[in-house]
Amino acid sequence: MRRLLRALIYALTTAIGLLAFLYPVIMSGQAVNTPLLLAFVVGLSFVALLLEVQGDAANAKFVALLGILTAMNAALRFAEVAIPGPGGFSPVFFLIIVTGYVYGGRFGFLLGALTLLVSALITGGVGPWLPYQMLTAGWVGLSSPLLRPLARWLRAEGRWAEIVLLASFGLGWGLLYGALLNLSSWAFIVGPGAPMPATLRETLRLYGAFYVTTSLLWDLARGLGNVALMLAFGAPTLRALRRFRKRFNFTYRLQEA
Amino acid sequence: MLHAAAWLVWLIAAVSVVSMTRNPLYLTLALAAFMTTVHVIRRPGETYAAPLAPGRFALFVIPLAALINALLSRVGETILVAIPQPWPLIGGPITAEALVYGALNGLLLTAFFVAFAVLNLAVPIRDLIRFIPRAFYPVAVVASIAVTFAPTTLRQMQQIREAQAIRGHRMRRLRDWLPLFMPLLTGGLERALQLAEAMASRGFAGETVTAHPGRAQVVSIVGLLGVLSGGLLTAWQQASWGWVLIVGGSAAIAVALWLTGRSVPHTTYRRAPWGYREWLVTGGALVALAGFLCWGGATRIYNPYPVLTWPAFDTLAGTALLGFLLPALVVE
Repeated sequence: MRRLLRALIYALTTAIGLLAFLYPVIMSGQAVNTPLLLAFVVGLSFVALLLEVQGDAANAKFVALLGILTAMNAALRFAEVAIPGPGGFSPVFFLIIVTGYVYGGRFGFLLGALTLLVSALITGGVGPWLPYQMLTAGWVGLSSPLLRPLARWLRAEGRWAEIVLLASFGLGWGLLYGALLNLSSWAFIVGPGAPMPATLRETLRLYGAFYVTTSLLWDLARGLGNVALMLAFGAPTLRALRRFRKRFNFTYRLQEA
Repeated sequence: MLHAAAWLVWLIAAVSVVSMTRNPLYLTLALAAFMTTVHVIRRPGETYAAPLAPGRFALFVIPLAALINALLSRVGETILVAIPQPWPLIGGPITAEALVYGALNGLLLTAFFVAFAVLNLAVPIRDLIRFIPRAFYPVAVVASIAVTFAPTTLRQMQQIREAQAIRGHRMRRLRDWLPLFMPLLTGGLERALQLAEAMASRGFAGETVTAHPGRAQVVSIVGLLGVLSGGLLTAWQQASWGWVLIVGGSAAIAVALWLTGRSVPHTTYRRAPWGYREWLVTGGALVALAGFLCWGGATRIYNPYPVLTWPAFDTLAGTALLGFLLPALVVE
């Protein structure tokens, strides 16, 4: 029963998130005059998802591990803000993908969402774009354990093929992250009340233009950056995380008097 | 130092005004008020922490938005340049109206950005974390751990780098970062173990609290269903029913938050004082919002299509916007 409710929440929040992201495209033929409402709806589905996922964070080990890794990732993002890499390259996705893969989707989701939250707090980047970023980065971590059955089926665990699998996943998410966030900023940049094209095909053509002019190169840099990081650091990081998973796997028991 | 809630009220009023208008005169006026506030509350000598200072953000976003809109919408009477039609993606006329409209969007985004920059500058990180609702207690704990440890991590990164430099390590390729990254990661994981032990020994999560009681789960599912079906209905031209469902669904999710938050015990050690300055700031922001709603009327909307015209301006509504300047007057 609990598992069913849980699955229902995942499905519903994903559907709402996708709907909100795709809204400008669905609404072709009509003026889009609701960018703030969209941010609100995305925030709402994020709230419901977070409420569900955080249930795991009720023990000291989970909270401490998550807090420290978030601090590390936020510091990496801070370094990235100080020394901008090429294009949309960002070092934070590497750790989100790998920890999601090793420690599970809920951990990955929380790491993704909280990294964006904490780095926004540190660098002063709190704004209406934050719910979109947090939800999308959370999805990156939430989805990465989906690779596990694939890795098992390919008998790739602990071998080079596993890294290749994770690297291609990073490439895909690098591009997808940009495309999704574009959809959200599109509503803002095109603005309310703008005459929108009449047909879906025309909208897609316009979105294509928007995408190619604004962010294709940017996203490619992010995706390829993920691949490079994964190839360079993936194997030792996986080993370290797995070793620590064993060390974290202990329970406190009261001494019977 | 003002009460954080006063800044929150200021921000909500500012963002509502900005999102309700599309008139460049009002937008510029509001932006000027926000910029003044940023300038006043920024302590001298403090470098701006955000990736982009407001001025640079404006210089980047306004031309970009103008260009994008000019490429996307080919409506308007005043044709500036006609790019040959067969050129893929960019072919077609570029109109002055589309450029102006895009620049307006950029101006709107800048106003948003600066309003939030005020919040980021004015409210300390600790108080920002305190805005996280009580239902998200675990998330708030993790966020404060992360905020506490982020400077430590940066310092540790520096130390490892120095240690490796002393050993003659040079950074040439990406793989050369490995001897820097791995100690950082394993060191962080070790620190997490120690922190977990310290927290457990101080009784963190000693009693098992179900962080997400079943009832709240069901209520939030009902809420999500409401929002989803409402969103679909508005997309399928059933706007009024859709709105009812969206509002109902949001209310249900709020109830789920309240149900979860109720079970979290909570102690307040110190209440931040709320004095006349706070009243002035919130009052000024609310008066600005109300006055703008009251007198702004038809002049709030400005549409450059099909031919550029000079935007209308209402003096009273413009004066009301000056209410956003109050923080700049009362903050010492």
